[in-house]
Amino acid sequence: MAKYVIKRLILAFVTTFIILSISYVLCKLLPFDRPIGGDQQQIAYFDKQYSLGYVARFEVERDDYGPLLYKSPLERGRRNYYYQVPVLKQYTSWLKNICTKWDWGYSKSFQPNVSASVIIMSRVGYSIKLNFFSAILSVPLGILLGIWAALKKNTMTDHTISTLVMVFISVPNFVLISFMLRIFAYRLNWLPSTWPTDTASAGTKVLGYIIPVFCLSVGSICSYCRYVRAELCEILESDFLLLARTKGLTRKQAIVRHALKNAMVPIFPWILGEIIGLLSGSMILESLYGIPGIGKLFITVLNYKDFDILFVDMAILTTISTVSGVVLDLSYGFIDPRIRMGAKK
Amino acid sequence: MKNMKKILSLALVGAMVVSLAACEKKANNEVKTTPTAAPTKAVQSETEKAPAYVWDGAYVEEDDYKAYITYDLEAISETIEPQLTSAQKTAVSAAVEKGKAAIASAQSVTAVQKAYQNAYTDILSKIELANGVESFVKLSRAEKTDILGMLEKYGVTTGITGVTLFENGSYVMYNPRITLGTENYIVGYGFGALKEGDITADLEYETNPAWKRYYHTSETNDPGTLNYLNDQGAQVGDLYEYLAASYFTTFMKSTKDGYDWTPELAMEKPVPVNDTDGDGAATKWRFQIRTEKEGLKYTTGSKIPSRAAFNNRGVKLEDYLTPYKLLLTQANNLYRGSEAANSTSGAIKGAKDYYNASKDGFNEDAWKKVGVRVYEENGKSYLEIEFTTEYDRFYAMYYSNGLYMPVPQDFIDLVTVQNYLGFNKTATETPVDNSLSLGAFYPEAYNSDQEIVFKKNPNYVFADSKYKVQGVHVKIFPAAETDASATINEFLAGHFDACSIPMDYLDQYRTDPRTRSTTGDSCFKLNMNATDQATWEALFGVNGTVTQTEKDAYWNLKPVMSNAHFRKGLSYALDRLSFASARGSVPSVDYLSSNYMSDPEDGVSYSTTEAHKNAIKALVEETDGYGYSLELAREYFRLALTELEAEKKITPGTPENPTVLDIEVAWQRPAQEDQYHKEVKKYFEDAFNDPSVSGGKYKLSLNFWVGNVWSDVYYNKMMVGQFDIGFGSISGNSLDPLGFMNVLSSDQEISHSFTLNWGTDTNDPLSYPLVYDGKLYSFDALFNAANTSAVVVDGKNKAALDMVYTQLKKNDDGTYTARLTVSEAIPDQTEIKINKVVCCNYERYNNGDGQYAEEEVPFTVSEMNGVTTVTVTVPAALAADYATGSGTTTKNERTTGFDFYYDITLGGNTTKDIYYSTNDVFPE
Repeated sequence: MAKYVIKRLILAFVTTFIILSISYVLCKLLPFDRPIGGDQQQIAYFDKQYSLGYVARFEVERDDYGPLLYKSPLERGRRNYYYQVPVLKQYTSWLKNICTKWDWGYSKSFQPNVSASVIIMSRVGYSIKLNFFSAILSVPLGILLGIWAALKKNTMTDHTISTLVMVFISVPNFVLISFMLRIFAYRLNWLPSTWPTDTASAGTKVLGYIIPVFCLSVGSICSYCRYVRAELCEILESDFLLLARTKGLTRKQAIVRHALKNAMVPIFPWILGEIIGLLSGSMILESLYGIPGIGKLFITVLNYKDFDILFVDMAILTTISTVSGVVLDLSYGFIDPRIRMGAKK
Repeated sequence: MKNMKKILSLALVGAMVVSLAACEKKANNEVKTTPTAAPTKAVQSETEKAPAYVWDGAYVEEDDYKAYITYDLEAISETIEPQLTSAQKTAVSAAVEKGKAAIASAQSVTAVQKAYQNAYTDILSKIELANGVESFVKLSRAEKTDILGMLEKYGVTTGITGVTLFENGSYVMYNPRITLGTENYIVGYGFGALKEGDITADLEYETNPAWKRYYHTSETNDPGTLNYLNDQGAQVGDLYEYLAASYFTTFMKSTKDGYDWTPELAMEKPVPVNDTDGDGAATKWRFQIRTEKEGLKYTTGSKIPSRAAFNNRGVKLEDYLTPYKLLLTQANNLYRGSEAANSTSGAIKGAKDYYNASKDGFNEDAWKKVGVRVYEENGKSYLEIEFTTEYDRFYAMYYSNGLYMPVPQDFIDLVTVQNYLGFNKTATETPVDNSLSLGAFYPEAYNSDQEIVFKKNPNYVFADSKYKVQGVHVKIFPAAETDASATINEFLAGHFDACSIPMDYLDQYRTDPRTRSTTGDSCFKLNMNATDQATWEALFGVNGTVTQTEKDAYWNLKPVMSNAHFRKGLSYALDRLSFASARGSVPSVDYLSSNYMSDPEDGVSYSTTEAHKNAIKALVEETDGYGYSLELAREYFRLALTELEAEKKITPGTPENPTVLDIEVAWQRPAQEDQYHKEVKKYFEDAFNDPSVSGGKYKLSLNFWVGNVWSDVYYNKMMVGQFDIGFGSISGNSLDPLGFMNVLSSDQEISHSFTLNWGTDTNDPLSYPLVYDGKLYSFDALFNAANTSAVVVDGKNKAALDMVYTQLKKNDDGTYTARLTVSEAIPDQTEIKINKVVCCNYERYNNGDGQYAEEEVPFTVSEMNGVTTVTVTVPAALAADYATGSGTTTKNERTTGFDFYYDITLGGNTTKDIYYSTNDVFPE
């Protein structure tokens, strides 16, 4: 088992490494932006890029670098030639700093001079809190609705739940939040229209969770509900449950002792994976509601081309994703002892 | 074979039938054309004989065409008349009359064009071409405004200003709790909401009681710093303004219709130190400044004891020097430092040399040569700045801006240069801790990605009389970036104090009592590539002077674009009023936005001057006031097609199969397809494709283009000639509109490579009659003369000296000889004196160990007929030394170079110790 876990973790690490490496190269291959302005602006801009390490500056022309980005005017027989630092060179230097010093770099434009990991750590808490509350709301509610719908299969209750699930699962959370804001924040003025700042009163902070948590949960509730209903319906019609009933168990006893327990085998790992996945935040929702989490950060730094932060953010998101896969697989074994991970044939 | 013969016979018969039909059609056309071409004449004199020629104008009748061309000729005369002498007026008037007669008697489109061209040349021949060293830099502001008007009219007439689409002004709503300084927007100033305004009620939404009376605004993103010294955008600058003080600031006039410049850190307006000729301009200016003696104190909101210790600390005289050192020391890597060092406007003497000498940190020796010093005299404190060029008092004030707000060196040492006005590496210190304020506000709270709060600074110079608002709360509101209605929703819910009205809300709130309109800082234009093939190749071809393009990448030029009447038609086709109104911007035909000041000291907008109104007269007369007239557009399109067909540049199709004229419009962003392109396309196509223009023989089709990044439209399209029409704008210094005209020049030295409209050689005095004081100038010559000085030869702008360097030769004795031949453009007004020649060691510098050295070398000077020859001899030992690598390189290229230092006296004005640089190689 331990060997299997180690193997899976190594595989997750390799996957993360490959994803990050490809992302790094692709991001760095994005077209080089530059200002509109005369030599004064160009020199200032490229000197700045040079000091940030994005651009190489030489006093002679170089043919061992990429395309020339800018050539300053000749002055006292000298001029500066600015070349983009080759992507591979940037990549190796970035990798070296991480491996040797665990230095993930620092912000170049988003929050200049601040360590990339500090920026991430200061924001990850908001995403975790938000998603934690979302999970607390969505898991029990989703499961209960799913069970209720399954038990009332083909009744008006089931149809109503299923229809609502279909409707809400089809509405993206950024559309939902727009409606919520319009009604509860702008029209009724009951809830804050943006994420309350740290200096806001405790009451406002609590109210500030309602809209984003609700919007984040609706999709999950629907998913859980649909999945639980499907699993439970299948089990309720299975032979072993019929056997349980013929053995004399009441319907309630059969459902609680056998149906739910068996239905949870595929559902529980899935919920676990969903919860872990929620840590990555919601990029669009965080941006729309102004939540200073890592989801919003991802979009902001991508726009700023502040790559050091972007890659820490990306590393976290990728790690969450790959590790949740491992945890998911392992959880099967814990939930259902009949499943053995990495067992020899 | 038999069948083949049959087929051939049938084909022959068919061809004959088609030919006959064609002949018949042509004959019919001729029958039709003759009466339509002559009816006016027939009415005029029925006894006259029918003309003995057939008018070949395809879409315009003869009289109409001639009337338009005559109008163009008269317009020239009208434009130049105010600048002519009486003798010139008579001669020009005669030439115009002669030209009109020639046009009237011309019998074809090309003959009319030729008659016009002859008349144009004749008119110009009556005006003397300017010659000599000309400088109008010391003219009054009013006179310079007149020159600006002439340059603008040049641009408008030749089309190099492009076609203006809109000015980026907007409609703004203010919360009723705000009392504005004025209800009427003051150009270049605003409504005075913070400076003169007040807040009269609490903002209910704000939960912090202390902030309820703060002015609540928003930013889409957290800039992460308040350090404007190291920022290249505008956002940080806006925030920095809250806490920064300048030497001078502006406050609204008591009449509330303008603003005055008022000393802030300074105590009085600057005094020239070296105004030797008494014209008010000088390079060296003295500012009496406030220090702790006058009660000037720093403020910080930091709770960290080491920072809080600076609160209420008095400003010392030497604190004024710190920001200059901070900015100009290259090792600090501050963006604005590099900009200031490389600036040509407001450049401080020695700043660039110091910048270059401070790669490794502060350089005491180099600093001594920088033209900034502080001193005390008679108990008063002074800062003295020496600029590289002469400025009048206003520009001396202007260039001593907020970037140079004093700060104690020990504070910089404490917080470090990297963290100044920003966060530290671990974000435990915020800009609240790492800043000291002398401005109207100081940072009170900085919650990253959430809010930035500024509180009124009790130590501010005008704390008692201005800025009644208790603070400013800046909410970070990212939703506004993706949702255009997000900010107005917040405003309407009472969360913000002001907002711009987005397009979808304009109809609803345009007339709301809370709404005010503002002008903009930039006019967005459709820039035109009006070059013909020969000009394009000369500029952008394989051996282009602007850029070099491989033959297979040559731009497919559209002949219609080079026709002035076609471009004029495009301009008339734009319904700017509807376009701008739908977007909340300002309709405009202007090249310069309303924010450009012809008199910045008194806040006079150039757009309100007579010079400007005269410049754009031709664009707006007989239109809706914003240059829109569908009738004129179609008439000019008819003129254009008539001319282009006569010149055989285009061939008509048929209504069933029209000739399609494809024009590409290059935009900055994909979203602009919906935002702008579709409507512009509709305007142009609806105007052109109307049957009244060509009867359906031509069809205009506008295509959308967008690059990978927004700046592609500049760098990959407009600046390299790879476009038909390109959308964009360049903003300049709004206080110096005359200087900003440089981007209209086709000379890349003058425009700093930011020419966006092509087609006119702006250094050709015959391209347009630009007459000033009875002399004919090229655009470049008049521009340079108005801004600095120009060496003008036959109306053209010329370099004062033409330098030709002859490469090093090795002599028998091991020495090396090089030669520089200097030709003077105007020998009788030019004098040069070679001071010294230094030989530079570039071999070891570039290819060796980075060691740079230079040494004076002997030279001889000979002069004949305005040509000075400088012969340089490099001693054998020095050459041997400099030609050698350091031993660390295997690639010894023997590179070297010379700097020739000289003084030049041009038209009586001497400039000392400038240099000309060359690169060379010591031959083996």
